Amino acid sequence: MADKTGIMTPVRQFFSRVPRWVYVLVALGMAVSVPLFEQAGVIETLWLRVGIRSLVYVMLAMGLNVVMGETGLLNLGYVAFFAVGSYTTAILSSPRLGHHYDFWVLIVLSTVFAMAAGLLVGLPTLRLRGDYLAIVTLAFGEITRITFNNWESVTNGPGGIPQIFRPQIFGMNIDKPSEFYYLVLIFVVIVAILLTNLKASRIGRAWNALREDEIAAEHAGIHGTSLKLLSVVISAGVAGLAGCLFAYYQQFINPTYFEFLQSVLVVCMVVLGGMGSIPGVMLGAVLLDGLPEVIRQAFSKWLPEALGAETMNRLPQAVQTFFLEFDRYRMLIVGIVIVVMVIFRPEGLLPDKLWRREVHEEDPREMEKTRQKLFDFDEGHRDLEA
Amino acid sequence: MTFEHIFRLTMSGLTVGMVYALIALGYTMVYGVLEFINFAHGEVFTIGGYIAITTLVWLGVDDGTPIGTKVGYFIIALSVSIVLTALLGWLIERIAYRPLRGASRIIPLLSAIGVSIFLQNAIILVWGPEAIVVPTSIIPDQFVTVFGVQIRLLAFVIIGSSVVLMAILTYIIKSTRIGKAMRATSQDMEAAEMMGIETNKTIAFTFIVGSSLAAIGGFLVAMYYGSLKFDTGFLYGLKAFTAAVLGGIGNIPGAVVGSLLLGLVENYGVGLKLGGLAWFFVVGLMLGLYVQMIRVPARRKKHIRDEVRTPEYEAQVVNVYRFPIPYALQTALAPRTDALLSVSARHALRLFAGNVFLASMAVLFFLNRDFQFATMWQHAISFAVLVLVLMFRPAGILGEHIEEKV
Repeated sequence: MADKTGIMTPVRQFFSRVPRWVYVLVALGMAVSVPLFEQAGVIETLWLRVGIRSLVYVMLAMGLNVVMGETGLLNLGYVAFFAVGSYTTAILSSPRLGHHYDFWVLIVLSTVFAMAAGLLVGLPTLRLRGDYLAIVTLAFGEITRITFNNWESVTNGPGGIPQIFRPQIFGMNIDKPSEFYYLVLIFVVIVAILLTNLKASRIGRAWNALREDEIAAEHAGIHGTSLKLLSVVISAGVAGLAGCLFAYYQQFINPTYFEFLQSVLVVCMVVLGGMGSIPGVMLGAVLLDGLPEVIRQAFSKWLPEALGAETMNRLPQAVQTFFLEFDRYRMLIVGIVIVVMVIFRPEGLLPDKLWRREVHEEDPREMEKTRQKLFDFDEGHRDLEA
Repeated sequence: MTFEHIFRLTMSGLTVGMVYALIALGYTMVYGVLEFINFAHGEVFTIGGYIAITTLVWLGVDDGTPIGTKVGYFIIALSVSIVLTALLGWLIERIAYRPLRGASRIIPLLSAIGVSIFLQNAIILVWGPEAIVVPTSIIPDQFVTVFGVQIRLLAFVIIGSSVVLMAILTYIIKSTRIGKAMRATSQDMEAAEMMGIETNKTIAFTFIVGSSLAAIGGFLVAMYYGSLKFDTGFLYGLKAFTAAVLGGIGNIPGAVVGSLLLGLVENYGVGLKLGGLAWFFVVGLMLGLYVQMIRVPARRKKHIRDEVRTPEYEAQVVNVYRFPIPYALQTALAPRTDALLSVSARHALRLFAGNVFLASMAVLFFLNRDFQFATMWQHAISFAVLVLVLMFRPAGILGEHIEEKV
């Protein structure tokens, strides 16, 4: 893949020579500066809201990545865990049943309940093979949504739960968008650090081994079922945490937030960014959630301001409606993106090393590279011995 | 619960079941050949219905059209729908699935999900998010009195035409050259290729047949309910998939049996005013008992060691599973010295505890007021069936040979 185009090779080499922490710092700096720009009046508050939503999706994508990218189990009902987290927070911190628990208690409770849900789903289903598991998780996701929709006495059914209390952290009331933004960002960073470490740990390597060849992994002493269960539970916990933050931010939730399409959207983020690669799925989430908003804003505001209304009107009608009603085309494009990515670049935009190797196993170029690397390694050894 | 009530539920269950069967056949045939779940099949079904309705509207049929012309127009609409939908099925296979042949399992499924989302939103874009209404019905919406119960005429039409279609399908698969090729491909693709079968063409043909059946199903559903919505296919697709799994995926008679069973279960579930979660546990209990009383004893019987293979001993071991309660009590009271039977009896204790749990949960949810309004839970029933079948018996009712692949 890499050396197909001659022009791109030096660019690629340059970018791969920059150390990784530079990228991390740049991304973090960009993320931190969004509310500062907002306070300075450069951008509108709208972008802050888009940013918060994107961050929640980033967290979801990272969580799904654990189970889908690392362990190779497709989960099509991921939003169910998100729903469990959200509803836990909403029920225990709103006038609905008159509870008002502390923020930290609910963060923990949401995560733990989502983890328990993950355990409940995982225990009976994990012996199924990939595609069946996907369908069963889908069914579980739908059952969860239908349950929340119909369990009137607790969840208020389709009416949803309004007036969720604002969180209070160390005596500080969080109610401005910029404060929420930082709150979610902090949790995203924490989760990202934890998951990156987990990926490099013994457990992460065991997950990768299970994904690549389950039988071989089990023969190497990896306990398949319990590790798979662990990955499902951890990913569910991340979704529960995201759900808790989402409920606090949104202040109102109802079952329509947790439909099947949301799960598909998160799956698409992971596929687009690169399964198994944490920076990749972050990029995928930001692209799929933030980019449509950017496009719509660009066409409804920035372009007319820059070009003048007449030039805009001279564009073909179809193009105008396409960009103005971009939301209607969003899921359509998501569908196309999944198919195109899966066919042409299954390893994603920012691929994980292992995944790329796995996907291009048959690729002669990739094999040649590996052979060359092994050869160099061998030579090096011989030199050392000499 | 009168006879009339039950009969009506049965008839509507059979009708819905037949429609499920038309879709489930597409799932199961594709699974048989390619071993992957064609997630986009539900949307193909919806598009089939939409095309037929659009053609009817375009031809200008309404209630005033004389019956002869009407029949002609309906045949035209159905043919257009079948041809276009078959083309769509072929295109999907060509564009989204063929390049991925030989990739790891999760990849084609992702592609199928992408296609499904794409098609669903394409429907919204082309036809709008509102339901599309059938301009008129070909058969006057009359009721037929059978055993003193009034049944919609359309129900009989749907059941009859589905039976005819299944007979044709059976003929194609059993007795024609291409059917033979399909069977060979589903048994072993590589070997079939070596025998000179063009597997790519066979797979394309499978998609075409499946899509045509789905188109007819879409047309019938549109006739029956009078309208279609863009997300109709998602639910129908999932339920049909459930039915295919229930019957044993990859198994064509299994798909029909599973579909009819699912249709009946769903309708009885609504009729009995049993909520979704209660159903979950009731079905779980049923399946659990089935597995314990028929499946496990047979397997255990095979595995009893040769030296203890007396008929009495065999019978005893089998009975542990068939009547868990006395044996559970037995271990609880006095642990057996006989190793194998002791282990089995302990297993029986666990089975018994599981059954008690499921039954008590069912009763709990049955008594809870929130969980009683059955129509709201109708869709949950099939999801519950799906989860439970895959948990307890992934091979389905009729599928044996799939078991090791699952």
